[in-house]
Amino acid sequence: MVSFTAGMIDATISAGTIFIIAALGEIIAERAGILNLGMEGMMLVGALAGYATTVITGDPWIGLIVAIIGGIAMSAIHAFLCISLKSDQVISGVMLTLLGTGLTTYFGVEWTQYSIDGIQKTTIPVIGQYLLEIPLLGPALFRNPPTDYIAFLLVPTVWYLLFRTNLGLELMSVGEDPETADTMGVSVFRLRYLAVLIGGALAGLAGGHLSLAYSQIWTAGLTAGRGWIVVALVIFARWRPLYAVAGAYLFGMLEALQIRIQSLTLTIEGAPEIVNTIISFFTHPEIMSTYPYFITVAILAITVARSERGASAVPSALLKSYSREMD
Amino acid sequence: MNIDVDLTARKEVPRWLAYSSSVLTVLAALAVSSLALITLGVDPIAGYTTMFITPWTSQFGISNVLEKTVPLLLAGLAVYLPLRAGLWNIGATGQIYIGAIVGTWIGINIALPSVALIPLMLLGAAVGGALWGFIPGYLRAKWDVNEIIVSLLIAYAAIRINGYMVRGPMQGGAGNFPVSAVLPDPAQLPTIPILDAHLGVLVALLAAIVVYVFVQMTNVGYEITYTGSNPDAARQAGMNSFFIYIMVFVVGGALGGMAGLIEIAGIQDRLRPDFSPGYGFTAIVIALLGRDSAAKVVVAALFFGLLFVGGNSLEINYDVPAALVDVIQALIILFLITAEFVKNFEVDVTLEWGETEPVSPATAEEGV
Amino acid sequence: MKQEAPESFLEMRGIVKKFPGVIANDHVDLEVEKGEIHGLLGENGAGKSTLMKILYGLYRKDAGDVYLDGSRIELESPQQAIDAGIGMVHQHFMLIPKLTVTENVILGRRETASSFADADEQPKDGEHDSGGILTQSLDTLRGLFTIDHEGPRDRIADLASEYGFGIDPTEKVWQLEVGEQQRVEILKALYRDVDLLILDEPTAVLTPNEASRLFETLEKLADNGLSIIFITHKLYEAKQITDRVTILRDGEHIGTVETETVTEADLAEMMVGHEVLFDIEKSETEVGEPRLAAENLHALDERNLPAVEGIDLEINEGEIVGIAGVSGNGQKELAECLVGVRETTEGTIRVNGTDLTNAHPRRFIEAGISFIPEDRLKYGLAPELSIMHNGPVKEYRSERFQSGPFLDWEEMANYSEEIVEEYDVRGIDDVRKMEAGDLSGGNMQKLIVGREIYRRPDILVANQPTRGVDVGAIESIRRQLLEQRDSGMGILLVSEDLDEIFDLSDRILVVYEGAVVHETTPEAADRREIGLKMTGGSMEGESAMATDGGRSSLLDHSNRQSREDGSESGGDLT
Repeated sequence: MVSFTAGMIDATISAGTIFIIAALGEIIAERAGILNLGMEGMMLVGALAGYATTVITGDPWIGLIVAIIGGIAMSAIHAFLCISLKSDQVISGVMLTLLGTGLTTYFGVEWTQYSIDGIQKTTIPVIGQYLLEIPLLGPALFRNPPTDYIAFLLVPTVWYLLFRTNLGLELMSVGEDPETADTMGVSVFRLRYLAVLIGGALAGLAGGHLSLAYSQIWTAGLTAGRGWIVVALVIFARWRPLYAVAGAYLFGMLEALQIRIQSLTLTIEGAPEIVNTIISFFTHPEIMSTYPYFITVAILAITVARSERGASAVPSALLKSYSREMD
Repeated sequence: MNIDVDLTARKEVPRWLAYSSSVLTVLAALAVSSLALITLGVDPIAGYTTMFITPWTSQFGISNVLEKTVPLLLAGLAVYLPLRAGLWNIGATGQIYIGAIVGTWIGINIALPSVALIPLMLLGAAVGGALWGFIPGYLRAKWDVNEIIVSLLIAYAAIRINGYMVRGPMQGGAGNFPVSAVLPDPAQLPTIPILDAHLGVLVALLAAIVVYVFVQMTNVGYEITYTGSNPDAARQAGMNSFFIYIMVFVVGGALGGMAGLIEIAGIQDRLRPDFSPGYGFTAIVIALLGRDSAAKVVVAALFFGLLFVGGNSLEINYDVPAALVDVIQALIILFLITAEFVKNFEVDVTLEWGETEPVSPATAEEGV
Repeated sequence: MKQEAPESFLEMRGIVKKFPGVIANDHVDLEVEKGEIHGLLGENGAGKSTLMKILYGLYRKDAGDVYLDGSRIELESPQQAIDAGIGMVHQHFMLIPKLTVTENVILGRRETASSFADADEQPKDGEHDSGGILTQSLDTLRGLFTIDHEGPRDRIADLASEYGFGIDPTEKVWQLEVGEQQRVEILKALYRDVDLLILDEPTAVLTPNEASRLFETLEKLADNGLSIIFITHKLYEAKQITDRVTILRDGEHIGTVETETVTEADLAEMMVGHEVLFDIEKSETEVGEPRLAAENLHALDERNLPAVEGIDLEINEGEIVGIAGVSGNGQKELAECLVGVRETTEGTIRVNGTDLTNAHPRRFIEAGISFIPEDRLKYGLAPELSIMHNGPVKEYRSERFQSGPFLDWEEMANYSEEIVEEYDVRGIDDVRKMEAGDLSGGNMQKLIVGREIYRRPDILVANQPTRGVDVGAIESIRRQLLEQRDSGMGILLVSEDLDEIFDLSDRILVVYEGAVVHETTPEAADRREIGLKMTGGSMEGESAMATDGGRSSLLDHSNRQSREDGSESGGDLT
């Protein structure tokens, strides 16, 4: 039981990292007013790009960098279409998911046969050894792939950037009211581009973590819809980094649970067969894998239904393209 | 040096642009995708010939294309109808899977002659798909929850549920393979003699006609169109968007469900995990291309039916992953978007050196 | 083109600006002296806003030159305008409701804590300390990656008290009242030490009291050497506050005059181009049965704040009931409740005896109620659909339009053509093909008005029916309203134009803060009294409105209000 819990925590963190990193990227983009529905495609591109590079070079860190670049490249398309060409952000995003999925399936066929030495778990320098000594939590929390630590650090960084800097102020103003921001001399275009590209970079990083640190394999569709969960996550985290962390670990936990439960056979001794049948239904791995999706929908519905329209947390200019001479 | 881009909204779309943009879009997508072919060492001309021309050269090819068009057309309509009302049914895939599950279950477990069984299967599939469409439709209508995310998330869930079914309750066939039992003969779609294609062709065609008439010629169709154009004005005009939103998703879901069932009962004969080769996403492209009318959806679906068949032969003959089709699809959307932009704006590009006056204004109609 | 050196502080010469289908500024000249309050007068659509947006760098001029303090300047962005010392207080406030006053004021300036070390030595925008490249880069980085709230907050507080604004810099803008928000707008400019301040229809959203306080502030600023351009279409204001006035009409510069030397009638004639007749003939009619009766209505606005607080109202056959009030006092919400578009939290609405409280809009339509919404593009039409789609939008359910189980599109087209014909909607080739959004504003409004009246409703609720419409169309719409009233229609007229209210109404209700505070008739009413009632009946200070029967109009702010509420995200994300 103890090792189960420890294992759970460990896996939760690693699984959660994917969501945190990607969610932070999506928050930044959406706070600037651009919805990025291409998250799934960008994460896939990051994952494959990182994986392929690692196979070729043998160094997962180079792979991680390439993963980030891959994410940036994809998001650059989105930025160009939505900001410069003022295209429909929904269509552009979905298109990028299709593109990313198609491209990675197409080009990824080759790479499924290779295995890699991915990003290994490490400990925090200096104090790490001592932290490992902490019973139960020690090994779970403090021996992780560095990307988990990157995720930890990204949270306060993004928070600080958004709420405690002029850059953040301008970025949020652009997402609330680009016309006003423009009249104040804020460069709407540049900030939106920046936000989307950062979002893409983080999407790529999340994908890289997925293929290089977490699962350390490549198959088509590796992300399995996580990109969509991230989009939903950002909504019910009210675009706030700290809430997003909670949601991210919730999903990380679900994922960890799902994997682990397979190795357990849960039965209640002496109970009528019907009970055990029901239990085995609900703990069937395929069924369990649907929980993240249904739970996301439920949370989303509850959050949205309850939100008061007057005090809306939505960035007010989200989904609206901006042009200075709108007639 | 300064690059100065000036956008002016067009008052009118030049005739040639309006008509040819769809065609140009497709051509551009194909051109770019040929790069993907080249990287795998395939001659694009040969490849595209196999994709687009060869199928028409044999009876087998033609019937193949028709049969491939069927689920695409139905799924395309499943996305088209909500789109007409301004909603996005991005998760049509889910409706496809649930419909397939329900319909196949009926086909395997209920003993009836074909004449009764097949309509029952279709009905079951429609109901299953309708249920899966109802969820996002209702949440959007009642609480304004983003239907894109909901329909997509439950689509992923549906794929898993299918995975569960073929490993659990519906597992059949030899050994422990995750497949269902084969559909008994009465449950398999009969073939139409002249076309040498299965009955689904008629079902899909009928569905397209019904949708067309419904949207273009009835009161409700008018309301759908108006709501899609301006939901606020529609509401003030007394139209009931709550009802409309749910209805388009329920009907769309039903169409998607039937698409799934027909794929199984007409072609695959049994339920498998991940049996849908991306119909749900292709349906989005089809609906976008055909967003003006169900007739255009038919044409777009045919094009993609051809693309799918061609993609398969490309894979067989040239060892090219069929995912190329996904890439082409995405590129079509990309160029569609760009075409939209070009249609709406005129672009003037001016190049300036240093602080002096602009040297030579260059006017461009394309891109930036 | 003149080659003389500019003499005035600001000179705009030969400004040309075209939009598709219209020349907004046709070789316009403007010159403003230092310390002058210069009025820019003209009707809606005359080109005043466009000209100022060019000056502020929001629009790019097609031709012409701008000279500031003797040298020619290019204004390609608001940042450049700010750097040049030009500030603008927009008609629709450029404020971000979710941010604080301080944040709104400092947005874009990238101030850091160190730049506040010596508040008195604050460099002007555009002037920077010349340091090495390294210092500058560090400064830029510091500006980007930190923020200073305290220093600016104090400076804003100082500025505010200097001019008598009671503003708390730490409050969020959405919590402020409209008048206060405008003061924040002014603070934004003052904070940047501008030399030239442009105000675009500033009194549109102010009560007469607040307006006179504004004028005092402006005069103080002008005395301190600030040049002010004051855009307005209100004649009495131009007379009251300006030193000189430039009049624009249809994009052209008509003339520039010394304010003291002209009368309001002179200004009106220059504005409109012909002698303006201020009266409309209204006949006596018999008022009949009550068609619509509302009791104790309560409703919330877009922000879920109380907007309508206990209104009783009756609309009888053959009468026009005018609702007067400064915009934002619940009139819009009231109108929406009466047609079923807005939920009432309390109270009842009966139409011809039937209780329709909170019924779906459709039942109101079927009960014979028509509605002209305030925002025609947002609520009145589907702009991308054809005229044929938009004409019969309230009547399509009736038998005329059914052909078997199908919709009879032929009839839909005929009906639309009938409306277009009868209400003189111009610019339409084929109702089937032309998109409703391609009509001009005036024709769009005529289409909507026509559509709502053509079906011969018992009751018409009209919210700003002549706003943003050219003079010819205004006359036509007003005539229509009176005609319908003569033939027995009951009309509720909500209008920003007090003259319109007086000309058309049989009864006038004054609404303030969601309640009816005064009821009167045009004959019995005293404009001055109504003005005071509109502000809550306070008797302090002087009214900014002329007492000699001068024209007055109050522009509406509610379009912008709903945008400021931050609730405009549509259905797509939450």
